[in-house]
Amino acid sequence: MKALTCMAVLAWGGTALAGEASPPKFPIGVSAALYDISVPPDRRPTPERVALGEKLFNDKRLSADDSVSCATCHDPKRAFTDGKATSVGIKNQVGQRNSPTVLNALFAATQFWDGRAGTLEEQAMLPILNPIEMGMPSPEAVVAKVKGIPEYRTEFQKVFGREPNYDDLASAIAAFERMQFSGNARFDRFLAGDAKALNASEKRGWALFNGKARCNTCHAGNAVSPLFSDQKFHNIGIAAHKQDFPKLAAEALKIVRTGDEKQIDELALETKFSELGRFLVTKNENDIGGFKTPTLRNVGVTGPYMHDGSLTTLWDVVDHYNKGGIANPFLDGGMQRLGLTEPEIDDLVAFMFALTADDFSQLEKQELARQRARKNIRPERDTAAALGKKGNLGDLAPNPNLDIKNPAELGLYGPVRSPEK
Amino acid sequence: MNARKTSGIAALAALGLLSLGAAPRKDEAPKHQVPRSKDGDVVIALCDGETTLEVDGVKDPSKIDRKKAQEISNHLMSEWRKKNPNAHWDDPAPVLLANAQPPTPPQATKAPVANQGQSASSNADAVQKKQDANVQAGHTYGAFSARDEALWKASAEQIVQEGHKVFHDAKELGSTVAVSCDMCHPDASNTHPETYPKYQVQLGRVALLRDMINWCIENPVRGKPLAEDDPRMKAMEAYIYAQRKGVKLEYGKH
Repeated sequence: MKALTCMAVLAWGGTALAGEASPPKFPIGVSAALYDISVPPDRRPTPERVALGEKLFNDKRLSADDSVSCATCHDPKRAFTDGKATSVGIKNQVGQRNSPTVLNALFAATQFWDGRAGTLEEQAMLPILNPIEMGMPSPEAVVAKVKGIPEYRTEFQKVFGREPNYDDLASAIAAFERMQFSGNARFDRFLAGDAKALNASEKRGWALFNGKARCNTCHAGNAVSPLFSDQKFHNIGIAAHKQDFPKLAAEALKIVRTGDEKQIDELALETKFSELGRFLVTKNENDIGGFKTPTLRNVGVTGPYMHDGSLTTLWDVVDHYNKGGIANPFLDGGMQRLGLTEPEIDDLVAFMFALTADDFSQLEKQELARQRARKNIRPERDTAAALGKKGNLGDLAPNPNLDIKNPAELGLYGPVRSPEK
Repeated sequence: MNARKTSGIAALAALGLLSLGAAPRKDEAPKHQVPRSKDGDVVIALCDGETTLEVDGVKDPSKIDRKKAQEISNHLMSEWRKKNPNAHWDDPAPVLLANAQPPTPPQATKAPVANQGQSASSNADAVQKKQDANVQAGHTYGAFSARDEALWKASAEQIVQEGHKVFHDAKELGSTVAVSCDMCHPDASNTHPETYPKYQVQLGRVALLRDMINWCIENPVRGKPLAEDDPRMKAMEAYIYAQRKGVKLEYGKH
């Protein structure tokens, strides 16, 4: 099967209604059904908005000192991430959260690690105003600055038929982001029937993913829903060791104003309350330390991992899950010790790299080499706990059963259609 | 041992074919005895163990193309219908691919693009109202949203579509005689998935739908049987069941 390139020039259909574009053409591995669910007809990107949005996305002048653009932390060349544990804004200020990829963000049910924004438009407004990210004092200040740039005055007039305003600026950026879908991975060709698209190790990884490793508990994926994310929020114990959650939550309750998006944004990026995750948004005890399940598309090239970038490689990530996460009172009930052996961990990582789009194959090689080089530096590894030989997780999970057969060996998870002969 | 047609046999007509020179199988399943052609032509037989057709001038089954295979199927099936005028036979009704209603996706967000200042989307309830997205209200399991349900529906629909493809594709089924399922079962008619498990004379035992699918793949389609968990098998079961949505379950019915 010939691979399409993700960034291929897209054929937009004629506009059906005023202001409504047809859906773009999708590469293999991007689901039209999911697009229909995620993008309402009146928000389908038009070429004009996308062009303006791209310009704004890359424009450092949207920040207080002209040093940071959206692309600073979401670098298109790095699969729309920055490769840093947590992102750095103006005046080299370091935030508390890892920069997630923009690729496929259009399919997310909510935006940000804690889902504090409901749409891409609302998401785009916040970093520009956050004091340590782009640092603009107010929406009015942003609009004034944009109005002062003649080329934008004309562009906004052309695209929206009016003077620049903050909502239009956000919807142009969102339009650009809605074109950043990404499929085209080896896994997609495998699912479409090319049995040779994955090697033996990657196939075993896919089977483990759906079986013994229990990844599909939260990261289930198929051709209709190819994000590999349930878009829900889970506490998996990241950073639990450096927090006294109950105390922190009690403090936060006194401060957090429900519904004040901007305040939550600042708390999440600048204070110790960041670790409360979804709790800041819902004030719900069960959401303490819960963060959104991220998509696994391009996961190999969008590290480091977790909301705080605290895990360097995918091996670390699997180690973390293998021992059942880190115990804390709010640990998600789905966390168990997995009993994965070292070769199984390698297979899982191999599978995850097979979710990388072809556009990033160069980056994938580099990243794989970099992560492989660290294969023996494994801060999260605790084999005894992972194999159930040590410790007691109380009622969290039974000791892992190491006799579970790998479904791949039973001929499961084969391709849907046999390859062309 | 020949399968004799009795009034109790399901009116499930499928093609049977002698694999010339095949080694006898170890299991006890009944085998068709198909008369050989004097000229070495391909002979194709129906699953009633009686009706056969010699394909004149064709010595090599791989020379049969889809059109020819459909002609053969039609001929044998009409012969069978003449012999069995009183069989329980579904009149071919226009069955639509996947009777299941296609899902209506929820509006990702019902809110118009806000035209003033900050919205309160960090308020969980507001987000939910605005976009039907899953907003976790303090628990993870069972906190399913309209979005989740739409995706489940679309996923089921997708496997049905996949089954439709396999069902209509002789090559996919590994047929050596260009026969695909739809040739005897247009739109999966007369497959009666709702009557399984039931005793199948062709198999000499109680069978599940997947056993019968494999029987058809081995005999009329003349391919290799699929593993029970082969994705193609799952897809075909999905398609066949989808075509009988709403029909009463009656296991064991003939």
